[in-house]
Amino acid sequence: MTTLSRPPAPTLRPSLQGFFQKTGFDPRFTSMLLVLLAVWVGLALMTEGTFLSPRNLYNLSIQTCVTGVMACGMVFLIVARQIDLSVGSLLAFSGMLIAYTQVVLFPPEAGWGWPLSIVAGLAGGLLVGAFQGWWVAYRQVPAFVVTLAGYLMYRGAAFLVADGQTLAPLAPDYQLLGGGLSGAIGPLWSSLLGLLACVFVVWQRVQVRRSRTAYGAEQLALWADGLRVLLQCGAIIGFVWVMNSYTAFNAQQERVGKGIAVPVLILIAVALAMSFVATRTRFGRYVFAMGGNPDAALLSGIPTLRVMLTLFMLMGALAALAAVITTARLNAGANSIGQMAELYVIAAAVIGGTSLAGGVGSIAGSVVGALLIQSLDNGMVLMDVSSAKRQICIGLVLIGAVWFDVVYNRRSSR
Amino acid sequence: MTLNTFAARLLLAGLLGASALAQAQAKDLVVGVSWSNFQEERWKRDESAIKAALEKLGAKYISADAQGSNEKQLADVEGLITRGANALIVLAYDADAVLPAVRKAKDEHIPVLAYDRLIQDTGVLYLTFDNVEVGRMQAREVLKAKPAGNYVFIKGSPTDPNADFLHAGQLEVLKAAIAGGKIKVVGEQYTEGWSPEIAQKNMDQILTRNSNKVDAVVASNDGTAGGAVAALKSQNLRGIPVSGQDADIAALNRVARGEQTVTVFKDTRTLGEAAARFAVAMAKGTAPAAVQGAAIWSGGTKKLAIPSVFLKPVAITTDNLDYVVSAGWATKAQVCGGVDASSGPKACR
Amino acid sequence: MRDNFSGLPRLVEVDRVSKHFGGVMAVDDVSCDLRPGEVVGLLGHNGAGKSTLIKMLSGVYAPDSGEFRVEGKPVAFASPRDARAAGIETIHQTLALADNLDAAANLFLGRELMTRWGTLDTPRMEHEARQIIAKLNPHFTQLHRPVKAMSGGQRQTVAIARALYFNARILIMDEPCAALGPAETRMVIDTIHRLKAQGIGIFLISHDMPDVFEVCDRVTVMKNGRVVGTEAVADVTQDEVLGMIIGGRQPAHRTARSPDLHPVLATGT
Repeated sequence: MTTLSRPPAPTLRPSLQGFFQKTGFDPRFTSMLLVLLAVWVGLALMTEGTFLSPRNLYNLSIQTCVTGVMACGMVFLIVARQIDLSVGSLLAFSGMLIAYTQVVLFPPEAGWGWPLSIVAGLAGGLLVGAFQGWWVAYRQVPAFVVTLAGYLMYRGAAFLVADGQTLAPLAPDYQLLGGGLSGAIGPLWSSLLGLLACVFVVWQRVQVRRSRTAYGAEQLALWADGLRVLLQCGAIIGFVWVMNSYTAFNAQQERVGKGIAVPVLILIAVALAMSFVATRTRFGRYVFAMGGNPDAALLSGIPTLRVMLTLFMLMGALAALAAVITTARLNAGANSIGQMAELYVIAAAVIGGTSLAGGVGSIAGSVVGALLIQSLDNGMVLMDVSSAKRQICIGLVLIGAVWFDVVYNRRSSR
Repeated sequence: MTLNTFAARLLLAGLLGASALAQAQAKDLVVGVSWSNFQEERWKRDESAIKAALEKLGAKYISADAQGSNEKQLADVEGLITRGANALIVLAYDADAVLPAVRKAKDEHIPVLAYDRLIQDTGVLYLTFDNVEVGRMQAREVLKAKPAGNYVFIKGSPTDPNADFLHAGQLEVLKAAIAGGKIKVVGEQYTEGWSPEIAQKNMDQILTRNSNKVDAVVASNDGTAGGAVAALKSQNLRGIPVSGQDADIAALNRVARGEQTVTVFKDTRTLGEAAARFAVAMAKGTAPAAVQGAAIWSGGTKKLAIPSVFLKPVAITTDNLDYVVSAGWATKAQVCGGVDASSGPKACR
Repeated sequence: MRDNFSGLPRLVEVDRVSKHFGGVMAVDDVSCDLRPGEVVGLLGHNGAGKSTLIKMLSGVYAPDSGEFRVEGKPVAFASPRDARAAGIETIHQTLALADNLDAAANLFLGRELMTRWGTLDTPRMEHEARQIIAKLNPHFTQLHRPVKAMSGGQRQTVAIARALYFNARILIMDEPCAALGPAETRMVIDTIHRLKAQGIGIFLISHDMPDVFEVCDRVTVMKNGRVVGTEAVADVTQDEVLGMIIGGRQPAHRTARSPDLHPVLATGT
């Protein structure tokens, strides 16, 4: 049947389209933020406000970290028309390596045991990533197959590290990396970082405007750039204020604001770094080109094999980083951690605007996608909803978000 | 001798030889074990116990791991039968979904022993630690430590019938206090796959909803107890009684440190040894109900009359930590790691 | 053969080049050449070997025998990069553009301009792209959209701009007007004229006879991997060229016994 028989997809109203054109905002990202906001308001109403309490938002920020960190790497892979189904199992394997190093190899008094354990975990992640990337790039085995095999293999390997045992407890300093009692940087540092971030946002916009003027390119209206800066700084300040508002007793039994949690800082750093790689480096440009048109990439002389290998190693490293956060938070290395993680990570990337067809993706979007999924889970446990019903609800939201992506693509390809 | 006659004699000799070989091998009994998900921590010890006992009884051990899948468990059981199992020990992933596999075995007159987890079939011998009693022990110790207040249930996996047996036992002990208003249940969640991460997340949320006003946590195993304890510690809540099960090394250490109140020791070595013994007996022709120590039990959800053997678990608290050490289950160093000898439990002095 | 280029040194020489895949001779002992400012049409039916020949010229394949020479010097290309380094730019039939990237990103794909800190100098790349595209097509201003949102003519402009920016001296164009409407075809033809005037040599693959006869100086016809013949466009008619492509028949002026006889009577058909 030809397109004539399909009902036309709704187009943006002209005034809305004009708004997005004038401000340069990404309509997809904006609509996703609005969806998140709507979900938050709904959950707040259903939990009598508890969902939006500083304490719960603080917990939510930590709960998003593991999925968020891995989603940043998964975006690159999906953009390049690849996939990695093994990240959950790889997380478990790295986590067991970390716990083994801390609990079995080093005595607890050695203060340097835990940094070394992180090196061990990262090394494991990088090696496994290289292994997978090699098969995909240099032996042309489809990524789906290689990483599905990995899903089984690394789970088995995780079991073998300690013969199935759970290794605990971990070093007290290491636990900071997972949040916990002393795992936040406090109001002073949080405010400083927030201020720094705002200054950076303003400076960056000024730079962009300057370079546009220098090259005589078309400039966005001043109010548009001003609005963007206002919204971004507002979000940063709001975030810092909420984190500081969560007061709790610290180890010295004083009631102080917690500030930003350490794992959240890790997530922010990873997201910023990955965004930078995607937009400002040759590597990132190559990844998008390979996803958009692999033949064009080859003909343009892009070293596609090397890029592919690096992509999988990057994913491995991020899975190891996620393992650090998980084990630090749990204060244990268990071979069952990370189960189902790959599905949530891919879902976060797709909800955030990464197309499974390749070539299109957003790091910031995937973090918001992770936040959306975790918000639903977090809010529903607050409401005492059973696990079965929660799973149904999250599944429906995933369908809705991807359907929305399909409609949007149909609309924008006109 | 013509070629045909020669060939015929060769064939006959070959057939006789083959059947003689088969007869000789039939003397060795084969016991097949179908694991549900070997990844969980405790099954390694069960396996060693079963293997050791089978070796002593002169039987062969073959096994398969269903990796948490019903479909695979069905295929595994078929495979074990094909490989010549004379008796099957089945750790069911799902008590009902495993029935087609059990049917297959029964059709071939191969006796089945349900290991630790219930299989809803009257022809199967159910061997387990009394999971309801485990639940009762967990609740008893927590109740002793905190007779009144806000209670939280961190339950097991929703697909594991043991989770509900444990909870039933817990409720039996706490029923009176709950009805009388001394105990208020402020949080209750299943934990998919018994995952410690999920338990931690659920505990975070329950604490948030109740503004930390939680006085006791009845967790159904040590993995989930670990997650609950991590959540409590991140809120600086100390001295909250937490229960567990399996006597994991990490949990025994938590008991020594005072972070967990009780764990239930099920010497799975005796479970494995008994399973091997019963499997061999059934392979040699003993009916399930006639096995030593078996009694008919109808406590399952379908109220079927199932021949069962219940072994007794042991509750481990700070008072009797030396029990696990003398039983050879864990070393003193493992149990007492990081515990101050002067202020710790007497097993650590 | 009358032509205006005989005095000029050859830009590209294809000397008895062959290439086979498995048992099939895709290109069989092919020779042709190209001079500066000249457009040579490479004609032939599907499977005649034109694509394989230009893939060798653009560095995708290596010839099994024979030699390529650029400005008299023998060259061997190990990759598309080498071909571009020798001044050969190819505009493939599929344009080899990444649909999801914008014009500037595609123009500089694989040859990005970097800042001194090693990051992409996107503003400069956009500026350069805007300048060169404006020269080719002053109406094409919306450069920020991804290529998949552009019209066929705009995509062709980006591909041509890419070739020009990097100072191609030799351009290979594979069916540049196949997917274009009349106005955009006109634009491409005008561009080709302008490039000729700048001294760039062009190998043009096309099925459109009127376009070929308007813009080419000579045509080289291939059939089944071999060269049927190379003729100046002024010396032959469109029908004769079609006869070369389809039947492998030589044009009349090559088979006439006497220059006075009528071509048809002379061949006895």
